[in-house]
Amino acid sequence: MTFTRVAFSNLRRNPVRSVLTGLSLAVSAATLSVVLSLDKGYSSAVTNELVNKTGVHLYVTKEGCPIEAASVIAQGGLSPLYVEESIVERLKELPEIEAILPFKLFSITTDDGSRTDIFMGVTEAIRTVKPDWQFQQGGWFEHDSSVILGAEMARIENLGVGDRMYSEHFRREFVVSGILKRNYSQDDGTFFLPLATAQRLVGREGKLSAIALKLKDISPLDASRNHLRSIVPADYFVIGSRELSEGILRFFGSTRVIMMVMVVIAFIISVFGIINTMLMAVLERRKEIAYLKCVGAGRRDLLMLILLETMAIAVMGSALGTAAGIALSPAFGGLMRKFLIAFVPSGAIARPDAGIAIIAFLGCAAIGIACALYPALRAARIVPMEVLRNE
Amino acid sequence: MNNSTFIQLEHVTKLYHRGPETVHALEDITLTIGAGEYVAVVGHSGSGKTTLMNILGCLDHPTRGRIVINGHELQHAAEKELNRFRRQTIGFIFQQFFLIPTLNVIENVELPSLFTGINKKDRARQLVEMVGLGKRMRHLPGQLSGGEMQRAAIARSLINSPSILLADEPTGNLDSRNAEAIMGVFEKLNGEGMTIIVVTHNPDLVKRCSRTVHIDDGRIRT
Repeated sequence: MTFTRVAFSNLRRNPVRSVLTGLSLAVSAATLSVVLSLDKGYSSAVTNELVNKTGVHLYVTKEGCPIEAASVIAQGGLSPLYVEESIVERLKELPEIEAILPFKLFSITTDDGSRTDIFMGVTEAIRTVKPDWQFQQGGWFEHDSSVILGAEMARIENLGVGDRMYSEHFRREFVVSGILKRNYSQDDGTFFLPLATAQRLVGREGKLSAIALKLKDISPLDASRNHLRSIVPADYFVIGSRELSEGILRFFGSTRVIMMVMVVIAFIISVFGIINTMLMAVLERRKEIAYLKCVGAGRRDLLMLILLETMAIAVMGSALGTAAGIALSPAFGGLMRKFLIAFVPSGAIARPDAGIAIIAFLGCAAIGIACALYPALRAARIVPMEVLRNE
Repeated sequence: MNNSTFIQLEHVTKLYHRGPETVHALEDITLTIGAGEYVAVVGHSGSGKTTLMNILGCLDHPTRGRIVINGHELQHAAEKELNRFRRQTIGFIFQQFFLIPTLNVIENVELPSLFTGINKKDRARQLVEMVGLGKRMRHLPGQLSGGEMQRAAIARSLINSPSILLADEPTGNLDSRNAEAIMGVFEKLNGEGMTIIVVTHNPDLVKRCSRTVHIDDGRIRT
């Protein structure tokens, strides 16, 4: 006979109630797992995409809302803001800059809204700025109508080097000159065009979405940024790639707050559910508890019994919920990708891992067990003679 | 206290406060019970029998007076000390059996040993055999008759080898045949030297006791 045996056997008294209480905690654990997976996944996906993989240290863009600038740089938008291409010549004079990538980025959505293609007009500097930008097949643009396809676009369009691709939107044919190696970034889903071609297609000759800069040495990043600010016109922004990702993540902050509120609500419901269940369990068993006190059960013994009973529910509920949350996170990541207003990075948005599972499991189990403290204290304080005499 | 005295109550008074009213549950009780006695405590409902059992069972402190059981002075003992004393010295049987419905017979019998930290599975098996439930060891309380449940409760009260058995209306929920069986078990235990104190309204049980204590309005009537 052990405390565990007695505590676990008590769960069988009202199995439906035990299961429902465990499930309420499972919902909390699942919600926490999903939210943590999305939060971590989105943050690392944005940072990975905009900081780690681009090789870009600074962007020059037009003054305006920093989030809009971020969105234009990251995804292409139809912003009225643009950078004059003539600025590139001024930047070439700066000794601290290793490479300058002027680009024109825009997206075209089909009339039925079912597909959005991202086009990026680039110069050969992209090969210096983005180390991951490498050819799987073919090579650089051969003429104005050349196109380089990201790996995913080539797969979707089933195109190879030398194939012709007709664009309904532009009523123009392109020839595939190269296909990129997959680098698990937005590049995989992008059509790359010669810069001048891209500008002409959208009627923005001589105008850029932004200019990406790679520095020779990033240690004096602030000094370089300040220097650049003194070179470019006053209504231009010079922002770091990390600031860019942070700007997007700040925008994501409101979504994060809503997700955290959902977690808190789920926890509040669970907490009241567990307290209610265990309090009912104690009140229903007052006489038995009184008898146990008669035969020498101390307060610590009764605390142990109630806490173990709750622990069984909490551990099972938390384990089930954490496993479900981790398993369902990718599905929620897919949903988020559909409905997120902010920048949507490529790759998985939800990134569940062992650390998240441990936090969700231990956090929920601990809260569940803590909920038993009050009912356990009520049990420990039962005065046997009062219960046995009055009931 | 002479050598044969096992339980001694001296001028024990117990008062309860019920709102503005003070209830004299026990009034200046002096009672001596020798080792191995089989005592019936009788009286009307509300006469103070259960309060006396609570005091004897160390479940309640007297308002005034002195209690000595097996040489231990207990009227001022702390809860922890009383818990330990009850665990080692006293077995309880109640009219309602208070068996844990999700534990089988042998587990219920073993239960009080949980708080001593000593494994008493073998003794539990012996006790279950002794009360005639050997073939129902693995049955849950819900599968037993009232008499069987009370026999299981008796076995449970004996698991820690107490010196005193306190029984509050042990035959109150039983038919005459089962009551007879329970009385037989008590006689056997008393024959082995156990001190038994029974609160009862059952005249057959009273007759079998070696002594009867009458309580009326919180006082012992001689």
